[in-house]
Amino acid sequence: MDQLTQPAKLSEAEILPVLKQFITEVIGEEFVEDLDITAASSFTKDLEMDSIEIVAFSEKVKNYFGKDIDFTGWLSNMDLDQIISLNLGDITKYIQSCL
Amino acid sequence: MPVVDLPHTRIHLQEMNKGAAETVLMVHGMFTNLSIWYFNIAPILAERYHVVLYDLKGHGMSGRSQHGYDLQSMSDELLALMEALQLTSVYLAGYSYGGLIALKTAIRHPEKIKKLAIIESPNPYEQETMNVVDVYSKELLVHFVNGQGDHSPAKMGKRQLERRHRLYEFLLKESSIRQDMQQERHFFSNGGIKDIPHETLLIYGKDSDCISAGLELQEKIKDARLLFVNGDHNIPVQEPFTIGNALKDFFDTQD
Repeated sequence: MDQLTQPAKLSEAEILPVLKQFITEVIGEEFVEDLDITAASSFTKDLEMDSIEIVAFSEKVKNYFGKDIDFTGWLSNMDLDQIISLNLGDITKYIQSCL
Repeated sequence: MPVVDLPHTRIHLQEMNKGAAETVLMVHGMFTNLSIWYFNIAPILAERYHVVLYDLKGHGMSGRSQHGYDLQSMSDELLALMEALQLTSVYLAGYSYGGLIALKTAIRHPEKIKKLAIIESPNPYEQETMNVVDVYSKELLVHFVNGQGDHSPAKMGKRQLERRHRLYEFLLKESSIRQDMQQERHFFSNGGIKDIPHETLLIYGKDSDCISAGLELQEKIKDARLLFVNGDHNIPVQEPFTIGNALKDFFDTQD
């Protein structure tokens, strides 16, 4: 998934499945089956991701969307409590605004 | 996932601003992982430096290891990582037990270190403090998992609880980590700390149980400065921007 070609201008609705795929790769398919992943899902409360899994997720986002977005730079302006309560809709919006 | 295969373990690492001329290498503490640096502190340093973060063996996404959590072995791991990345000398920062690994490395190979930053490292002789650090570390994980700490661990999801439980079961019951840490209890008195030649920044929380260790290091290391920030042992999480900027200023300043 990380090696896909450079994404074109994607809509928020198109970005969300990409993020879902990253989450599946990070936490494992067997756990994702029990989750309802939506734009409202937050990292820790809904997806039960811990900090090192959020790191892995961030790296996948960076590798896939590349230089068009400064994902780490965006996250670095937030403290950890803000980061872990981010939901996928927030991330989708940010990515979409950069593409 | 970027990994480096070292002689005994596969190490997970993250690099930022890879093209920069100088490198900051950051070592986390026991029972945490590189994420303690990744989100806030490392990006501040990466404005100027090549930043390397890695998960100690048995932690984060690095491989498990039953043995070799003593400072010599952990320092060997750090040196092997530097060699694998072809880093001849670095600015070195360590948190808690990671700070002890940094001190050990500075004693053994002073030529490989430009400056040293030690954050909240305990004196291993004070077993009570080490135990407190242990408890703090567990709380830190809970903090990471639950945010503000306003959720009790009981509210943690099943997968997360199991994951955390497995980590502790492995490290505390199946690995030599406890014995290895205990064997370092005389490190402050006979470990050569007073011979450390590097300019050293010591950062401790105003409400930390480890303050006496910070004072002792300040006394022993010739060129050390002690900085207090608001918070306790968890200052990398409580005051990440303060710490990131303090480290950057310290590494930036030339004699």
